Amino acid sequence: MNWRRTVAIGRKEFIQVRRDPRSLLIAVLLPLIQILLLGYGARLDADHIPVYVYDQEASQNSQALLKHFQASRYFDVIKVVDNYPALVRAIDADRCKLGVIIPWDFSRRLDDAHRTQVQALVDGTDDNSAQLAVGYAQAVVGAYSDDIQLQWFALKGISQQATQPLSVDYRTWFNEELESKNFIIPGTIALVMALMGALLSSLTIAREWERGTMEQLIATPATATEIMMGKLLPYFVIGLFDAALCTAFAVGWFAVPFRGSLGTLFFTTGLFLVVILGIGYMISVATKSQLGASQYALLVTLLPTSMLSGFAFPIDQMPAPIRAITYVVYSRYYVSALKGIFLAGSGVRDLAPEIAAMAVYAGVIVFFATRAFRKSLR
Amino acid sequence: MVEPPSILVEELVKRFGSFTAVDRVSFRIAGGEIFGLLGPNGSGKSTIIRMLCGLLTPTAGRASVVGFNVAKEPEEVRRHIGYMSQKFSLYDDLRVIENLEFFAGLYGVKGTLFKERIGWALEMAGLKGSEALLTGELAGGWKQRLALGCAVLHRPRVVFLDEPTAGVDPLSRRRFWELIHQMSADGVTVLVTTHYMDEAEYCNRLALIDAGRIVAGGSPSEIKRTAIRGDLLLVECAPLGRGLELIKRQPGVLDAAVFGAALHVVVTAAERARIELAAALASAGVEASRIEPIAPSLEDAFVALTGGHPGGSERAQ
Amino acid sequence: MLGRIWRIIVKEFIQLRRDKYARFRLIVPPIIQMLIYGYAATFEVRRVPIAVLDLDHSQESRDLLARFTFTGRFSVAKILRDDRDIPRTIGRSSIPMALKIEPGFSESLRKGQTAHLQVILDGTNSNTALVAVGYVNQIAATFTQEYARGRVERLMPALAAMAPQVELEQRPWYNPDLNSQWFFVPGVIGSITLVLVVNLTAFAIVREREIGTLEQVMVTPIRPVELILGKTVPFFLVGLADVALVAAVGTLWFRVPFRGNLLVLLLGTVLFLLNTLSIGLLISTLCSTQQQAFASAFFFLNPAFILSGFSFPITSMPAAMQWVTYADPLRYFLIVLRGTFLKGVGLDVLWPQMAALACLTIILLTIGVLRFRKSVD
Repeated sequence: MNWRRTVAIGRKEFIQVRRDPRSLLIAVLLPLIQILLLGYGARLDADHIPVYVYDQEASQNSQALLKHFQASRYFDVIKVVDNYPALVRAIDADRCKLGVIIPWDFSRRLDDAHRTQVQALVDGTDDNSAQLAVGYAQAVVGAYSDDIQLQWFALKGISQQATQPLSVDYRTWFNEELESKNFIIPGTIALVMALMGALLSSLTIAREWERGTMEQLIATPATATEIMMGKLLPYFVIGLFDAALCTAFAVGWFAVPFRGSLGTLFFTTGLFLVVILGIGYMISVATKSQLGASQYALLVTLLPTSMLSGFAFPIDQMPAPIRAITYVVYSRYYVSALKGIFLAGSGVRDLAPEIAAMAVYAGVIVFFATRAFRKSLR
Repeated sequence: MVEPPSILVEELVKRFGSFTAVDRVSFRIAGGEIFGLLGPNGSGKSTIIRMLCGLLTPTAGRASVVGFNVAKEPEEVRRHIGYMSQKFSLYDDLRVIENLEFFAGLYGVKGTLFKERIGWALEMAGLKGSEALLTGELAGGWKQRLALGCAVLHRPRVVFLDEPTAGVDPLSRRRFWELIHQMSADGVTVLVTTHYMDEAEYCNRLALIDAGRIVAGGSPSEIKRTAIRGDLLLVECAPLGRGLELIKRQPGVLDAAVFGAALHVVVTAAERARIELAAALASAGVEASRIEPIAPSLEDAFVALTGGHPGGSERAQ
Repeated sequence: MLGRIWRIIVKEFIQLRRDKYARFRLIVPPIIQMLIYGYAATFEVRRVPIAVLDLDHSQESRDLLARFTFTGRFSVAKILRDDRDIPRTIGRSSIPMALKIEPGFSESLRKGQTAHLQVILDGTNSNTALVAVGYVNQIAATFTQEYARGRVERLMPALAAMAPQVELEQRPWYNPDLNSQWFFVPGVIGSITLVLVVNLTAFAIVREREIGTLEQVMVTPIRPVELILGKTVPFFLVGLADVALVAAVGTLWFRVPFRGNLLVLLLGTVLFLLNTLSIGLLISTLCSTQQQAFASAFFFLNPAFILSGFSFPITSMPAAMQWVTYADPLRYFLIVLRGTFLKGVGLDVLWPQMAALACLTIILLTIGVLRFRKSVD
């Protein structure tokens, strides 16, 4: 391996990237667009769930319950309607997610049977939002119920019973406010790295074939390994730069906590880049056309990294066969490492399994990439 | 001219931004004529053809094809023309017959004529029996003739051929020009662009184009006759470079240029110059093996008119 | 005129049939996407593995913990022995939640004081954590009420029955089991169609421009409108076929119900396809090579997908972002899809979406056609 030759190829590649508007676009603009889009667009928090209320009773009691809903930061009571069809229409037309019906005998049953019910119609179309909405509604009604019960006990002079028997104290670690942006954005970096790395590196060899400069390159004494290293080196540097850019955006703009060390971040990013650049390189060796290369690059990065890496959809909730597939999805290890570094402040030792998996992956990919290139020369 | 012109171009101008691609070009072509536009790459030949086909709108000036204004009635114009672009743009993934059927359909060839014209085109292109081949598998010459066949399925009165023989072997080129002459004999007007000098000789009339302007026009022999003001000598000498330097400085020499392995020298009087040049070269130690008068070629005419070679690649677009 | 359009349509189909890659693209990615989205795309939290640290070892603490597994929402994955086990578990394993009961838990309860249940949560996946919190709250509320009632019962049985209590009766409509597949599968129809049709249309035109046949076609007596029709009708049909294919897989394989009116879905599909065709046309006018078309399509499709509400609810986005989603045709089509599949609603409810799609179509198609005419002129 001759470093001077490798660096010469690397320098040429770097100049080409700088002069090629499309490569620059992928290297700089794509990461920015991606992180802004996902940072703002990919949120799961249900903070202002739109609620319609049909208060059939309109009593003091029902008003008190309504106040509990209004006070909750999770609900926005948009409208109080006076008929059932209006409520149904609102749900049908997506104007609200939750319809609360306080029955006309709400207070009477409380007096007579001591037990009364509130109905919650939930739009179950989006099951996740529905699940969250139901959870919050349960909490609101539960709190209301506890309130009146304890008041009642106090009223009856059983003051001892007026204390709440059980209190749940939550201690949330790593993402204290349970904000989905803190969960999504670190994974976004993996998505950006995968897209950018595979697109750029898949173009590099294909471009040389298309322009016919590859034969020129092969005619020099540079070995296959040197050509590969030289061609990928600039993208490695660009990748690290993009990781820094995304991290700066995540922390500076979206206020995602960063508790780990930059060293760990760059180390794991470097490993991931070896994997992804190797994959892009293999694609470009195989397709030999820029168009085909970029299409395949998109196919092998976007779908697995967005769906099967644990970036948004939790892997442990997937069915077993799909879960098995995720082990070969290279980005799952990087996504997991990123979340650890950002939120839990994980160090190299904590991330040993992820790092080991990526290292194995990197070794295998580099081995095959060099071989594939040598083969394509014959 | 008694007959109305098949193509009439008057003061045609096309500007792209600040760049003038075609600069006040005028010519007229009679029916059945083979008219050549000769010039280097980027001289504006293709732009003129594309305006005449209605693919580009002229910036100024007027042009009509079979009596229809190209800017105002492009659809009428397209009914009467056939066009073959530089790259013989056919669908490589369609079979020969499918390409023909496709273009016949687009030209509105209908009924019994549909089969008849396609059969004719196959015959003409020499592709009978190869209907089921994929177009992408055809060799250059075959593809070229198929492209011509596709362009004339509807019996157009005017055919535009933009660099029709680029990348085709000499034998196929010859055969192609035979087809062109047949069409012309049938009364079809042919406007062809080329930068091959030998091909230009096949045309009835020519216009020499350089940097968007017509620098000379007429039949090939007229152009050759008028472009060169003097006699032409062929000089073979060694070393060539020193010989050229020397000859350029001789009195009575109007122009000198390298042509292949020899020099073409334009002089005021051939006989006197022959003796003077031989003496001058000999005294300078340049060995002249041959100095004799020759008939000028189109290339000589072109060099004399523009100072450059038409096929030269130094004039990139 | 019809003859010319017909010729182009026939040609387009021949090319599609002969292009191995296009054939592959029409069938394989839609099905793979369908399967991946059907199986992997889920925010559902069916069963949360938990770690348990019970330092009280009492009847009450065991009763409380038993309620967690009893609901089926939690499964005890690890029994912890002391406090130091908690940081070793949370954030170090796939167990996102630990329950801790301090010594003296039962004593507090018996004395009528407030007893504490500590829940230590790994907040990394905020969504899983939030859903889990919802479950915990529910369990805690039931425990509270039952325990309070029980306490009173022991003292004054007569009074206990009279303690007021309010319950929430929840009725998830349209998707009673809150099944993720029902949410994602109809959406996949929209996203696949968008990607496929935009790409096919843009590429088909740009490719002709690249190899020069577009110019060759333009010198025939064809009118631009005929050319546009000829080039888009095949992809319109392909789009319809793909919608049918994916919808069939969705209803037959994933058993997603179709409750609405097929004609309403068809109307929405036609409007949406016109949108995607216009976008493809528009992209084709901006690009002269297929490589550029690829990049442009990506830069359009990526945000269109993220902002459509396909997986991330639009209501969770910041207000400014929500405004942007109004320009996204997929947003409207997803509402139509989910409306017809799950809700079974008709035009009386979906007319705003249809109107929005129609408006977008008119705008995009006008720009697309005008630009296309200009680009071939």
